[in-house]
Amino acid sequence: MTEAKTAGGVALRLHRIRRAFDDLVVIRDLTLNIDAGEFLAILGPSGCGKSTLLRILAGLLVPDGGTLDVTPTDAERRTAFVFQDAQLLPWRTVLENAALPLELMGVGRAERMARARASLAEVGLAEAESRYPAQLSGGMRMRVSLARALVVQPRLLLLDEPFAALDEITRFRLDVRLRDLWIERGMTVVFVTHSITEAAFLADRAVVLTRKGGGIKLDRRFALPRVRNNELRLSPQLAKEMQNLLDAMEEEA
Amino acid sequence: MRKALPAAIPFLIVTLAMEWLVREGWIKAFLVPPPSAVFRTMIGDAPELFAALAKTSIGALTGFALSAFGGIAIAVFLSSSRAIQRAFYPYAVFFQTVPIIAIAPLLVIWFGYGMRTVVASAFIVSIFPVIANTLDGILSTDPALRDLFRLYGASPSATLWKLRFPAALPQILTGLRIAGGLAVIGAIVGEFIGGQGLGSVVDVARTQQRTDKVFAAVLLASLLGLALFGFINILSRIALRRWHASEQN
Amino acid sequence: MTFPRRTFLKILPAGLLAACGNSSKIRLALNWKPDPEFGGFYAADYAKHGLDVEILPGGSGTPTVQMIGAGSAEFGIIQADELLLARARGNDVVALFAAFGNSPLGIMAHASRHLESIGDVLKNGTLAIESGLPYARLLKRKFGFDHVKIVPSPGGDLTAFLNDENFAQQCFVTAEPLQAKRKGVDVKVFPISDIGYNPYTTVMAAGGDLVRMNPGMAKNMVAAVGEGWRAYLDNAAPANERMHAINPSMEAADYAEIAEAQKPLIESSPLGKMTTERWDTLAAQLKELGDIPQAPPADQCFRDL
Repeated sequence: MTEAKTAGGVALRLHRIRRAFDDLVVIRDLTLNIDAGEFLAILGPSGCGKSTLLRILAGLLVPDGGTLDVTPTDAERRTAFVFQDAQLLPWRTVLENAALPLELMGVGRAERMARARASLAEVGLAEAESRYPAQLSGGMRMRVSLARALVVQPRLLLLDEPFAALDEITRFRLDVRLRDLWIERGMTVVFVTHSITEAAFLADRAVVLTRKGGGIKLDRRFALPRVRNNELRLSPQLAKEMQNLLDAMEEEA
Repeated sequence: MRKALPAAIPFLIVTLAMEWLVREGWIKAFLVPPPSAVFRTMIGDAPELFAALAKTSIGALTGFALSAFGGIAIAVFLSSSRAIQRAFYPYAVFFQTVPIIAIAPLLVIWFGYGMRTVVASAFIVSIFPVIANTLDGILSTDPALRDLFRLYGASPSATLWKLRFPAALPQILTGLRIAGGLAVIGAIVGEFIGGQGLGSVVDVARTQQRTDKVFAAVLLASLLGLALFGFINILSRIALRRWHASEQN
Repeated sequence: MTFPRRTFLKILPAGLLAACGNSSKIRLALNWKPDPEFGGFYAADYAKHGLDVEILPGGSGTPTVQMIGAGSAEFGIIQADELLLARARGNDVVALFAAFGNSPLGIMAHASRHLESIGDVLKNGTLAIESGLPYARLLKRKFGFDHVKIVPSPGGDLTAFLNDENFAQQCFVTAEPLQAKRKGVDVKVFPISDIGYNPYTTVMAAGGDLVRMNPGMAKNMVAAVGEGWRAYLDNAAPANERMHAINPSMEAADYAEIAEAQKPLIESSPLGKMTTERWDTLAAQLKELGDIPQAPPADQCFRDL
């Protein structure tokens, strides 16, 4: 594998984005700049438009109004998406699932399997490669989903509440792993979550959306160390950041 | 063998009860033959019955194979767009609702007396469940998975063959299970019209008032249906073994 | 131990009938859709004889002889050879009134083939018959089926016949030929009676128990249908109208024409009466064909009430 490990990230500029579904205006007028290589968490109550925003960033939804600029432009598909449910193809092995994006992009079999194997190793699943999703635990399935996302060496990684259905210990482990991967690769990460703890632990910057209309309630950069570990979870610094987020969330609830 | 036992017990009980009821005169033998008479006829008329079974099997299996491949192909075609579904699905429903007996004289005109009418009848009667179940399976793919494919730039054809079709397999197999039994029925009806196989045995035996022979032929037809059902179950086990809840444990 | 139970089961329905007298509903099951073949049964005045009769129209494959045996109809229309088969299978059915002294069963072929006899029909082409019936076996014995393709009878449908000049089929000489002519095809008809097979046809029969337990009802029924047939032969119109209302698939004019055409087959015997000789002949024929193991005495097969 000759691909450079640091893929770098993209910068995204959303200007006056608007998106409605039938009569419901989910995002009214959103302007937001995301720097290259940033780790951004998006928080908000249910129905605030955070999933819609994420899908617009992915290019899966087209905004009704406003512009989205991506720098550098995504000539080669290097956007990856991780859903809340692992969304693996149950009739394929773990290895085949991890290789799927490369397969769809036309990469040859030998190369894509090799890259998939490397990706699985990054998330600690090297031994499981010939198992089927039905034989895996929830945490393992989510790791496969993560490996699949990483296999394309993404410059933009989007996650929609990926760890919400997992138990706490697994969640903590995957948080740390994700953060480490982000440091290694330098990609831009946008992480939607319900959890204030997770947002504060994982991200450098958090945006809290308003209850309706996708407006920005709070946009705050954290004063926290670059390397995060479990000790941080109980530190007063983290608690302070969390309090800010909590206040903002409570006002919108 | 142990797996077959629970199913065999009710059959044995009913058979013994029937035999006793007829011998004691509670049921008239000319209306419902005692199982012993049916068994004797099976052995006595074995050459005729099993030759007929062979013919019916060919008709039913050919009709079923055509339904399976044709039905899946039609469903894949219908899945390509909403407009196409709206234009052509009603005609597929036609296959479900047309009473085969009503179009029997037409079948004979088009296909002649013999195997072709039998296959046509089996096909017409059994194709709709394949179309309906396959189409439903293809159209019910998880939207999130479809998004995933879209994200990585998959062509519609890649999405169909790598995602929607495999995901639809459980439902396709359900459709095939239903179609199997119907194909046997369709073949028998086709044989009433076209004159061969078990259908013809039943038709002729009926006019001869040989209810024992009618029952023997019907029993063989049921066994054929059962065999086809079992075959599809084996296919299902192979295809879904590793990943679908229905075949786990 | 079996005796009381069997007799009990046999007595029960007949006994109920006897107990209720003639005021319970009597069902007469037909073996085809209403048409002039049944004219006299529709013309009969059952009420006059104290009977409350419901006529149950039939169709292709209506199992009238089994219905009598099972008790789902008190009287039914059957053919004489069917009755002999039924008795051989243990179904105690007894004939009471034969509407057709001569069988209207026949084979019809396109006139354009210029065939001379039944044997000619079997020389080539396709022949649609109910091959389970005794007459079919007789045909096979006499002429062989080696040169003709035998296919199932289409049950009154003429599509195949009209479509193919070399297609011949079983028919009632009074019915299908007329319909074919209406559709523009001239036919030649060969009665089965020509080869010496002439069972009583459109015979009203009942279960042996009913006749034994309730002879009064049976007698009244025979009297009623006898009068009905006489009335129908006199003037078919009222009954034809009644039948046409139930079965409009034939034109009213056809009803009239067929009613007229079938008269010779009906009037050739004392109306409805049967003879020992005819039953004995038929029984012998069926035994010879192997359809029944023994020829039963005629007095078991029919009653003259």
